[in-house]
Amino acid sequence: MAFSSLYEEKSPFTRDYNAIKATLQSIDDYDKTCLETALHGVNQMVLGEWGNNTACQIVLVTDGSVGIGPMSLKESLSTNNQRMTNNPFPIPFSFPATLHVVCLASQTDLCLQRSKPLYQKLIDLSGYEGSISLPDQLSEAGVISVFHKLAEDIYTSFNGTLKCGNLKSRIMLYPAPFNYTRVTDFDSQTYSVSEIIEVLGFISVNDIGSPMAVSRHLVLHASSNVKDSTAMDTEIDSTYEDESNDEGKTPSFCVLLHGALKVENMAALVSLGDNWFGFIYSWADTKKKSNLMLTLLVPGSDSVPWLGDLNYLGCVEQFDQSCSFPIRPSEKRSYSQNGVVWIRPAGLQSDIQKILRHARKLPEKTQQFYKELNRLRKAAISLGFLELLLALATIFEQECLSLPGNLHPDCAVQLHHAADVLKKTQTQDAKFVITPYLANYNNL
Amino acid sequence: MSFNSLSLNKMYPANHKTVFVLDHTPYFGISCENPIEFEFLKTRGPGCLPIPPFSKSLWTCSFESAIEYCRIVWDLFPQGKLIRFIASDNLAHLINTWSPSQQHLGHITSMMSLIGIPPPVHASNSKMDYTVLHGMKAAIEALSEITDKQQEKMTSDCQTKLINRCRVICITSARDDESMKRLEEIFLNGLIQQNKGAAKSDRLLVIDHCHLVIINTFPVNVESQVSNHPPKNLSPILTTEVHSVKASLVPNKLSSLILEHYDLASTTVTGIPMKEEQNASSSANYDVEIYHASTAHTAILKGNASDSAAIQTQKENHEYQTVTLKWCTPRGTTGSELQNCTSMHRITPVDVNSRPSLCLINFLLNGRSVMLEMPRKTGGKITSHLLAAHGGEIFIHTLCTARSVLEDPPSISEGCGGRVTDYRITDFGMLIKQNTLVPVKPTSVEKNVTPIMEVKSRLSRMTRYWPLTISSTLIFNLKAYIDPLPSIITKESITEEEVYQCKQIIRNLINLENKHESLHPLNTGQRLKGQKRDEQYRTMWNELDMLIKNNLHTENHKNIHKCLLECHTFKDEKVELDDALRELDQIGPTKAELDTQRASVIRATTDSPMSPPPLATIAAPFTSRSSGIYSTPKTLLDIFNTQDKSKSRPDFCGRMGDNLVAKLYPNLKTDNDRGPRTEGMEVE
Repeated sequence: MAFSSLYEEKSPFTRDYNAIKATLQSIDDYDKTCLETALHGVNQMVLGEWGNNTACQIVLVTDGSVGIGPMSLKESLSTNNQRMTNNPFPIPFSFPATLHVVCLASQTDLCLQRSKPLYQKLIDLSGYEGSISLPDQLSEAGVISVFHKLAEDIYTSFNGTLKCGNLKSRIMLYPAPFNYTRVTDFDSQTYSVSEIIEVLGFISVNDIGSPMAVSRHLVLHASSNVKDSTAMDTEIDSTYEDESNDEGKTPSFCVLLHGALKVENMAALVSLGDNWFGFIYSWADTKKKSNLMLTLLVPGSDSVPWLGDLNYLGCVEQFDQSCSFPIRPSEKRSYSQNGVVWIRPAGLQSDIQKILRHARKLPEKTQQFYKELNRLRKAAISLGFLELLLALATIFEQECLSLPGNLHPDCAVQLHHAADVLKKTQTQDAKFVITPYLANYNNL
Repeated sequence: MSFNSLSLNKMYPANHKTVFVLDHTPYFGISCENPIEFEFLKTRGPGCLPIPPFSKSLWTCSFESAIEYCRIVWDLFPQGKLIRFIASDNLAHLINTWSPSQQHLGHITSMMSLIGIPPPVHASNSKMDYTVLHGMKAAIEALSEITDKQQEKMTSDCQTKLINRCRVICITSARDDESMKRLEEIFLNGLIQQNKGAAKSDRLLVIDHCHLVIINTFPVNVESQVSNHPPKNLSPILTTEVHSVKASLVPNKLSSLILEHYDLASTTVTGIPMKEEQNASSSANYDVEIYHASTAHTAILKGNASDSAAIQTQKENHEYQTVTLKWCTPRGTTGSELQNCTSMHRITPVDVNSRPSLCLINFLLNGRSVMLEMPRKTGGKITSHLLAAHGGEIFIHTLCTARSVLEDPPSISEGCGGRVTDYRITDFGMLIKQNTLVPVKPTSVEKNVTPIMEVKSRLSRMTRYWPLTISSTLIFNLKAYIDPLPSIITKESITEEEVYQCKQIIRNLINLENKHESLHPLNTGQRLKGQKRDEQYRTMWNELDMLIKNNLHTENHKNIHKCLLECHTFKDEKVELDDALRELDQIGPTKAELDTQRASVIRATTDSPMSPPPLATIAAPFTSRSSGIYSTPKTLLDIFNTQDKSKSRPDFCGRMGDNLVAKLYPNLKTDNDRGPRTEGMEVE
């Protein structure tokens, strides 16, 4: 068993079969069937242990009753649309989860006839394909066979082919990838991982950064008994020497790819399906063991902003017009624009102080002084903050009075000039630019 | 409720279209009576006259808050979240359209400076019809205009009905609750009227739902008669809410609203070490608050209730919570490996111009990344997030903090093919380098193949014949003789000159064969032993033929192949691939020898330096007792001689220690092998 999906409130996630068995022996009866609370518990528990992007199986074992009264499933579902954000319904879960309901009830149970649609509703809500199963007959054998079937359905491994041009390898992904539904403002689409995962090219790990991953999977070379002969073209048969029965000694493309990616510190961009991409790279969980890892990106060719449209990547040799990573957006963000924000007085104060600092260093800083002054003036006008312009004029005049005597005379001249222009009504045109006062001694 | 309707709730969010209606009537020209004081002016000498107190107008307060809202939205969502501005006095001033070219701050501020301050309260103005209603009406019209995104959706997908949800944020000032209520009703009537018109038009969209947020504001020294009311559904198509706040608090109000409107959350990065402005030698710790999509927190907040309670605090003077995470001074380069990120979102600093914010931003924009830590109740802390800039944009990455299902995975060397040690890793590295992707502009428009698909077919072309291991090929070990033929032959098209080059290579090989010279595989560190020269040539020709035959892409490719056939007569034209392979197997050192020789290579790629030494090198001397017959002095001498020729080869293991007996040809089992080997030794 890969990871235990067996869950009982008293038993943590474990592979210890006996421990599970022991706790199951000591289950007490609950007073009331109250599914919602239990599902909240599931949500909490899985998030705490596995986080919000590990796929889980939830098996709900029930006698087919959904409870009665205010906390019954029926009641819970009917109030689902009126929930406030502080008391949401636990489904859909905060992680990818398939819900499997096993009703240990007779096919003809009347109670079951009523509850079945409600269970189905739960499964629909979860957003993934779950199931409802019933034993053929209410006996130990019947129940065992239901669970056997369920286990077979749930734990199917993903078998596919990893291709890089004509080089291929049968692979298994562990854990098996889920379908992914991407909901954007205008679209909702479900994507599934195709049988054939194809290498499209290579990108340096440094350039990739750390994009968001839908999930990560170990890429394991499928052992030769799973190998099917059709996957091999005759021309590359040479690369598969099956003479040796020892699998470890049969060359595998996976191992070659892993070795080269690790040496070059590169990752392979792969297509997972229609408009869905991923990266394959060498990954080590500890210092010792390293392996081939597949990261599934968010579906769509635009999922990594700094790589641009993944469909528009190519090799330098093939295309004349190429640039390099990362791709920069056409517009700068506010934090790299030196914009004006005066919501907090400190922002305004530091802008004024900057101008005054330049003023004291006139005439060397004439250009900077007027640049900052015009920037402030333009912002004040667009904000309709004309009061500031008058206040600034006053501050300039005050500044003139308090200037130490050893400063260049240009300080006072330019400050007076700036104050005058600020006060004039014509300055209310945003396009007007205050220019330095040309005093004669400047030319001497 | 089916899954479809569930995703419909998430789709078509109201925040795709937002209209700000700003009251520009004469009332908004009045001061908000919140004088601005400058600390730096207070420290001046007593001789200075005080600056007359001044404050922002109601207009300045409301407009600057609104553009701050836009700044945050457009930083976080460069596309798809559209905001329009309408200023309303005696008519509606439309500041921008839904067109993406007008969706930036520069456009809005320069348009606003043309409109200027609200008209003055003059007697001559009293007859003018100054009201926010003009703006409201214009806003409703704007909401039914189709945006580019909506148009795209409508033309690409006719089946699903587009839902036109939107939001209006109106900053105004009303006398009392009664007049506020009337404003809401007038708005609803306007919506209904507009929808009637839109239903008949194909250029307009029916408004399916509008969220009207009214912010009633007033100078700080005034008490307002208008009371707040939480969202209420006035009709199925209209939800309204009213917030009544003093002018100075409008920015804070909009901050908490933006978190709600765009599903954002706040993180305070604490403990950022920063040099003091005045005293560069000392440093103090600062905090910087950032906004980002709330899902960046899902993993840490939903897990452990007590842990998440400990990191969440109420933000001072605001109505929302912020999550405090600790700055981790980065060690080494964090960007050089792929982190396991479960989500990734753009961020923007809340106080964009403050010194600590600028400091953090510049640190990140300069290419360094920062880990954020979260303390745990149970003691210890956990690295939960990563801040990093990519292409001038800063992102918060949520790292996986939970238990992994990949506990104790096997090493790749334990799986299939894991013990093969002579993979052509260097050659594949070359292939990787040749197929490294960069952003490109498609060369021609008429091609309906995307560039990435062209690379895919290129990869397929370059791997038509590509043996995985060194021992399964001869020609790729004869680079000195055949390069650059393999790289030319895999090209999509080849020039006459390159054809000539290839033919020259073939002719050279013919000459060498005629001169009875052996071929020396060079780059592999191994030497051909025990193979007859003519067999070696035969293998080489067959493999070369295979390579070229697999790459007959154009007429020129065929010319090269023709040249090969003309120059060299294949004795048995039907040499099977298997034969070639069998021959290849006989070339060079035996497999076991290769294993020990190249073990270090493969181990270097799969294992770290911490790994224990390879078993093979330890075991080899002891497993070789029984090898007897070939350890004649002559053979040893021969091996000694070869070492002179290729220094890179590891020392013969029999020579490495005292009294050790080495098994020389552990894999020599078949008669087939024996013949050529012994003979070869004598000849060369």
